[in-house]
Amino acid sequence: MKRSHARRGNPRATAAQLLQQLSAGRSLSELLAGAPGNVPPRDLGLLKEFCFGTARWWLRLAPLAGLLLKHPLKPRDGDIHALILLGLYQLEYMRVAPHAAVAETVEAVRILDKPWAAALVNGVLRRFQRERETLLARVDRDPSARHAHPQWLMEALQKEWPDRWEVLVDAANHRPPMTLRVNLARISRQTYFERLQQASLSARPVPGIPSAAVLDQPMDAIDLPGFTQGLVSVQDAGAQLAAGLLDLQRGQRVLDVCAAPGGKSTHLLESAPGGVTLTAVDIDARRIARVRENLERLGLKAEIQVGDATHPAGPWAERHYQRILLDVPCSATGVIRRHPDIKLLRKAGDIPSLAAQQSRILDTIWPLLQSGGMLLYATCSLLPEENREQVKRFLAATKDAREKPIDGTWGHACEFGRQTLPGEDTMDGFYYACLQKV
Amino acid sequence: MARLNILCFPDPRLRNRARPVEQVDDSVRQLLDDMLETMYEAPGIGLASTQVNDSRRVVVIDISENHDAPLCLINPEILERSGEEEMEEGCLSVPGVYETVRRADQVRVQALDREGNPLEMAAEGLLAVCIQHEIDHLDGKLFVDYLSNLKRQRIRKKLEKERRQKTTNEPVRQPVI
Repeated sequence: MKRSHARRGNPRATAAQLLQQLSAGRSLSELLAGAPGNVPPRDLGLLKEFCFGTARWWLRLAPLAGLLLKHPLKPRDGDIHALILLGLYQLEYMRVAPHAAVAETVEAVRILDKPWAAALVNGVLRRFQRERETLLARVDRDPSARHAHPQWLMEALQKEWPDRWEVLVDAANHRPPMTLRVNLARISRQTYFERLQQASLSARPVPGIPSAAVLDQPMDAIDLPGFTQGLVSVQDAGAQLAAGLLDLQRGQRVLDVCAAPGGKSTHLLESAPGGVTLTAVDIDARRIARVRENLERLGLKAEIQVGDATHPAGPWAERHYQRILLDVPCSATGVIRRHPDIKLLRKAGDIPSLAAQQSRILDTIWPLLQSGGMLLYATCSLLPEENREQVKRFLAATKDAREKPIDGTWGHACEFGRQTLPGEDTMDGFYYACLQKV
Repeated sequence: MARLNILCFPDPRLRNRARPVEQVDDSVRQLLDDMLETMYEAPGIGLASTQVNDSRRVVVIDISENHDAPLCLINPEILERSGEEEMEEGCLSVPGVYETVRRADQVRVQALDREGNPLEMAAEGLLAVCIQHEIDHLDGKLFVDYLSNLKRQRIRKKLEKERRQKTTNEPVRQPVI
């Protein structure tokens, strides 16, 4: 028989179990997608807050726990380690009554079947309450802990953005806004604001991006007025720049490579004057199902193909396109505020291999672009290896490619292409470069 | 000592009935030690031989938080039941499932101890529930048998699905945004 503590679906215990798996290289989105641990629906928001918050501050909380633990925990007790960090997160960053945070976190050790850890977790959290300031001062001497960013990433950002890196890492540690993309093909932003008002919701327009609005209070997308009818989607303002940059003309053939989950694909269909023919390709058959769902919800049509951008094969690879959107796989260092686990999952060594993969994709897809056409290269990275250096290398190696400089009131012009930075104008960090074929 | 493999519902071998031990010898004591180790490691508070695919009629139990009160029962039999109690139970053979079961609140049990000496004891509360749960195992019965057919089918499907997912080794995919 197994002991039951009659509290199934304890969100703290479940959060600890999920967070423990981050060290095995699994992402939180992936872990949370699997309807975790019998947590009742009313606690799902709390579970997400626990997971994302603890991951966001992990690199500050882990050294803090190191000071509080006499001996490091055994690898098999990774769940208890994660639970301690979760306890510290609640005490330092959440508005939970401290005594409840401690009691509930201690209770979770029983659900994890590790009652021996009750005294340990209790002792660690109470000592933090007593000695908070001294302990934090010690931990914060290390800039990597103070900013809760890995050393390699901080150094890379310092090098590329010497005047701005501190603002950047600070923005990455903030909760992201919930940004809407109003489907301007169906409703004007102003009329949609009226719909929001009728539902006692409020939002502010994002200047310079006609479709974008930031909700004052985040909520479930499904509950947004007109969401199921396709009047609105959820998409960061920086991502909403892509459709405009493509400069679409009526009747063009457009290819979106690495299209899943389809945010940019659907936006370019919404915004194309008079319609274009879109082929959306992604390597992941499961993720491409999301593209299909999004198209259906918005009442849009596209040809959907499963395909590998480094080995194009099949009908989609035998045509030429007037526009190509190439939103390549990248380090995602520009969207850390939405996916804080990137700070733990991504390693310095990943960057060269990602850059090599991006080069390969760019070189492979370029021949599919028709002469006179344009390819929009996009990443959600802040690192030059994936952005301006990538484009520089490509332009030097590709005779029939020219850069078309991007004018904009947003972001920052780079040697090649243009970059948005997290937190500026509500946006995530995206990089765009327009490449024309002569 | 060795850790044993615990069978998982709906494994048909969990339906086997255990046969009484005729002589308590070293091989039986070895089995008890292995079962204790397996139970502590799981971790659980009770384990019956049927769950580790052994047909000798023995159970091990330890409901202490510190794992320092092991109880070994050979050929256990319930002499008397009284009272009623509802408790949420879980089972090492039905991982991740916890359901409320109604059982007697107090029991009187006779058995042999690990030296082969007869013992008789009274138990109540969690210990009483645990003894009934383990003796059920020896008779091929599981706690999910007390639930509705519908619920049991749902549990069976869930565990079969989990098993399938465990055996298909999906490659880990990094988030690409």
